[in-house]
Amino acid sequence: MRSSLQPHAPAEGRRPPARTLRRAVESALFHAAALAAAALFVAPLLWVLIASLQPVGAPVRGPLALPHAPQWPNYARVFELVPLGMYIGNSLLVAALAVPGTIVVASWAGFAMAQLPPRERYLLIGLAVALRMVPVTALWLTRFVLFTRLGLIDTIWPLLAPVWMGSSPLFVLLFYWSFRRTPQALFESARLDGLGALSIWARVGLPLARPAAMAVGVLTFVQYWSDFINPLLYLKSEQRYTLAVGLRILQQMDLTNWPLLMAAAVMMALPVVALFLVAQRAFWPEARLAGVYGR
Amino acid sequence: MKKFDVGPLTAAPQPAARRSRRRGPAARYHASLYLMLAPFLAGMLVLVVIPAALSVGLAFTAYDGLSAPEWRGLDNFRHLLRDQLFRTAAWNSLQFVALSVPLRVLMALGLALLLSRRHRGAGLYRAAVYLPTIIPSPAYALAWLWIFNPIYGPLNMLLGALGLPTPAWLADSSTALPAIALMSVFQLGEGLVVLLAGLQEIPREQYDAAAIDGAGGLALLRSVTLPLLAPWLLLLTIRDIIVSAQSTFAPALLMTGGGPYYATLFVPLLMYETAFDRFRFGEGAAMMLLLFLGVGLLIWLAHAALGGWGYDDEV
Repeated sequence: MRSSLQPHAPAEGRRPPARTLRRAVESALFHAAALAAAALFVAPLLWVLIASLQPVGAPVRGPLALPHAPQWPNYARVFELVPLGMYIGNSLLVAALAVPGTIVVASWAGFAMAQLPPRERYLLIGLAVALRMVPVTALWLTRFVLFTRLGLIDTIWPLLAPVWMGSSPLFVLLFYWSFRRTPQALFESARLDGLGALSIWARVGLPLARPAAMAVGVLTFVQYWSDFINPLLYLKSEQRYTLAVGLRILQQMDLTNWPLLMAAAVMMALPVVALFLVAQRAFWPEARLAGVYGR
Repeated sequence: MKKFDVGPLTAAPQPAARRSRRRGPAARYHASLYLMLAPFLAGMLVLVVIPAALSVGLAFTAYDGLSAPEWRGLDNFRHLLRDQLFRTAAWNSLQFVALSVPLRVLMALGLALLLSRRHRGAGLYRAAVYLPTIIPSPAYALAWLWIFNPIYGPLNMLLGALGLPTPAWLADSSTALPAIALMSVFQLGEGLVVLLAGLQEIPREQYDAAAIDGAGGLALLRSVTLPLLAPWLLLLTIRDIIVSAQSTFAPALLMTGGGPYYATLFVPLLMYETAFDRFRFGEGAAMMLLLFLGVGLLIWLAHAALGGWGYDDEV
């Protein structure tokens, strides 16, 4: 590319300008195609955002028409329609309890797996990968029976139960991966200093696994904030409803009040989208685990 | 190398070493590691392994959640295979998988090939394509309920403005299922990431070697990229089959309620209604078992169709 700027470059003749041209065309084609793909995938979300700002009851003017004046009060009006603040509070409570619990359980398990001798380690990894494949649908019925027998229906506990297993085998694997990549000499010297497993985890392991802990924290928040099935199955009284099932109430009111419905949907998606924009890499654990699966 | 270091030390004082393995600090450390693993293993056992096993057992019983389950043998399965509603749900689920999985995998492949290029701004495009994947399912369902609205919805407005036909989407029994498959295509982010990771694993030398042989863009794709990506595509297809068989629940419940005329009644929704509205847990469990047998069969088919491909070309 640079050679095209050097008129005295010998022997290269007319080829460099041709190559630059080709590269420019290629780049333009790439950006055109990628921009089209990006627009296609963002369009549905933009449509929803625009719909949430339309005046209530006014006819929609066209597929791409923006409202004359964005109706931000739509968002406040949803709170008058249903106890949205209460739903949001419940969702935040579940997520706030789930995130630290998950980080502790998953990082303990990941730390232990990383420190165990190879044979036990690989057995446990295989177990975690296999259990990830168990379809959740198969567990609805028997978990429901279990929680009914324990008298936990219509409490917050069935929603938080997955914390006990680190919320997802994926999170355990993420921590495992991170602890394996930490230089093992650090752990060994801590052991020689007479530290126990728990202190090594707390003083050496976890501080070094902060990126993994961040990723797991973000993904855990998203998992519990978005959880629709568990609150649907286990919650009965409205004052315990989370936002996911609260949205269903709103929809069941059968209101043709699209702007308000869309405003509620936007509010549910907003924290997740915000986290995605701030900590994008956390959402792509599969990329980091590619090595575990691929081999 | 480690063996060489440790060998002579452990070889001499055998009995002492064995005792220390049981009682010494190393043993204590080993035991405390298992203590740290305990919550995860116990949680898995109580929340996944035992429920999954019980669920299989429940499929052979009649159980209302209150009185003790009654053994019924294969009655549930016999009943289901004759039941018109279950047949419809199974057929719909199969149609959904057949529509959604190839679309999602091919789209993810195309996007991965496009977005794996190292251009400025590629990360931004990737993020945009990934964005719909993270939207929580109830919000996503409501969003598409609006987009598919036959009269006011933006999709039909756009189609109308372009002079294209404007189907009634979810209100029409012939377009409702394809519509739900269509909205599932927009949540292909995880597949995209898996394939991007797969593309990164392909060594550059493979391309250089093929390029020296005079292979052009398309030939490179056919002779290098696709064969080396084949295991990833298979992995993605299997994952997608598992996900698609279940992911219909929220849209069916929130958007169509299984209608119109049972056009979007999928197995998970029918199971939910059978078990939690009519308290027939045994029958619901039998449905799940049949669904997973079907999923297993589909995975086996996908494996047979895609599994051998790729390795042959390489030789």
